[in-house]
Amino acid sequence: MTFAHLARWLLTGLVLFAFVVLLVSRNSYSNQDRESPLAGASVLHPAGTDALGRDRLVRAAFALLLSTGGAVTASAVTTAAAAGVGTLAAFGPASVGWLAMLVCDVFLALPWLFLLMMVRSALPLTTSPANSAAITFLVLAALGWPACARAVYRGALGLRKAEWALQARAGGLRSGQTFRYALPNLLSLLLPQFLISIPAFVIAEANLGALGLGIGEPLPSWGGMLLELDNSALLVQTRWVYLPVALLILMLLLLEALVAEV
Amino acid sequence: MKLVGDLLKRFTRMLAIVLLVVIGSTVLVRFAPGYFSDVREMDPRYARSARAELSVESARSNAIIPLLSAEVGGWLRGNAGISRQYDVPVLDLILPRLAVTGSLMLRSIALAWTLALCASLLSSAGPHPSLLWQMPATLLLAIPTAAMATMCLLAGSGGPVLVMSLLLAARDFKFLDRILRKTWLDPHLLYARTQGIGVTRLIRAHILPSIASQLSALATLSIVTALGALAPVEVIFNVPGVGQLAWSAALNRDLPVLLTVTMLMALAVTFAGVISDRPAEWKNA
Repeated sequence: MTFAHLARWLLTGLVLFAFVVLLVSRNSYSNQDRESPLAGASVLHPAGTDALGRDRLVRAAFALLLSTGGAVTASAVTTAAAAGVGTLAAFGPASVGWLAMLVCDVFLALPWLFLLMMVRSALPLTTSPANSAAITFLVLAALGWPACARAVYRGALGLRKAEWALQARAGGLRSGQTFRYALPNLLSLLLPQFLISIPAFVIAEANLGALGLGIGEPLPSWGGMLLELDNSALLVQTRWVYLPVALLILMLLLLEALVAEV
Repeated sequence: MKLVGDLLKRFTRMLAIVLLVVIGSTVLVRFAPGYFSDVREMDPRYARSARAELSVESARSNAIIPLLSAEVGGWLRGNAGISRQYDVPVLDLILPRLAVTGSLMLRSIALAWTLALCASLLSSAGPHPSLLWQMPATLLLAIPTAAMATMCLLAGSGGPVLVMSLLLAARDFKFLDRILRKTWLDPHLLYARTQGIGVTRLIRAHILPSIASQLSALATLSIVTALGALAPVEVIFNVPGVGQLAWSAALNRDLPVLLTVTMLMALAVTFAGVISDRPAEWKNA
């Protein structure tokens, strides 16, 4: 069994465990147990509670599922957008290709986190938590495609110059028709791009949240839970406050191991 | 002559990209649904004055062309406009912070490159990728910048330079290790090794010159990564740099500050790209 296999199984186990925690627990992520804020581990709260008395294990499980689900969806959208733009730029007229790559360059001229920060902060202050989560991952998907599109463009350009494509064009196939046959050949390029984007999006969401620009409370998120670590008085009272960071790093390590395999 | 023409073309493209970034950022921020909102509106003590300021801002920035010309006019006057948040010229805010950020970035990149280069030279000398080197790099890449900075702050050891260096070193190490591992297996190097030429001489005379173009591309990537990590590191460590200013400007919809920082970042990234992607004639010269 390779390390990537092990990582895949562990990641699946982690996600299943998070589902089970949410199904079995009597607490919801926003339920406040006013009698026991900052409580230690107990039968009712296996990983204790936060400063508002909310179950830490349930919140961490929910954050894990939200972050994984959001990152996978955003990554799928990004990869699809990149595939569309990259292949269109390579198989379309030269002017379209030039324009598409110029747009990519404009996006890539700014550091990604800075761009995310700018876009995310330009949204209304009164966004609901669910909307803020959707917006965060939508923004990640909307801004994550240019680097991927550049890689797809290079790959597609290579395919366009391939002998079979030349023969197909000489045989009378139009660019649009050649594109249909080229797309399956790009899958080997798109899959790594899809997998690389997942940990990148999880990290970006955590960084945005830590800057106060991520998913809104009371919805749990990695970034929001990282903010808890700023409270040094809280750290003295309970060690369970480190649980979300430990889970986040574990999840990212497993994702990195999966990416390394491809 | 061809070299000059090529360079001119690259710089024109660079300026066009920076201009498009500025126009795009202005449109994005100005027409974003949250532009005319202010946290002070939620406080009854400041709500009235905040709304009055917002209505003045609304009248001023009603159309995009006058807004852009006002910003460009600010740059032409040499003060880059007036900050909406602090009510002082933007350049007065940015110039002292540029020195802080520049110094932080320089020290971080230098330390990261030293660490990455030493580790990759040692690691690539072995026959197979060693877990001893790969594991710490993977672990460092799996930790979000904000989490690493927070943990350093809690542990009371390590500052912004260390956090940024570790982040950059882990990324650079992965690339350098791969490049060096491939280079060591080049036939002429294998032959030179069998002839007993010293490792130091091999690195200096053969390896470093042959990977110079990849190293310059990696240097660009380091600058982009460092710029990306600036905001969380400076905010968490409370470093009064450009990243912290950009974060505060983004939170307060301070368009003049945001535009100037955007332009500076775009200039830095595109210029680094132009330098690393040198024309063939330049390389030969």
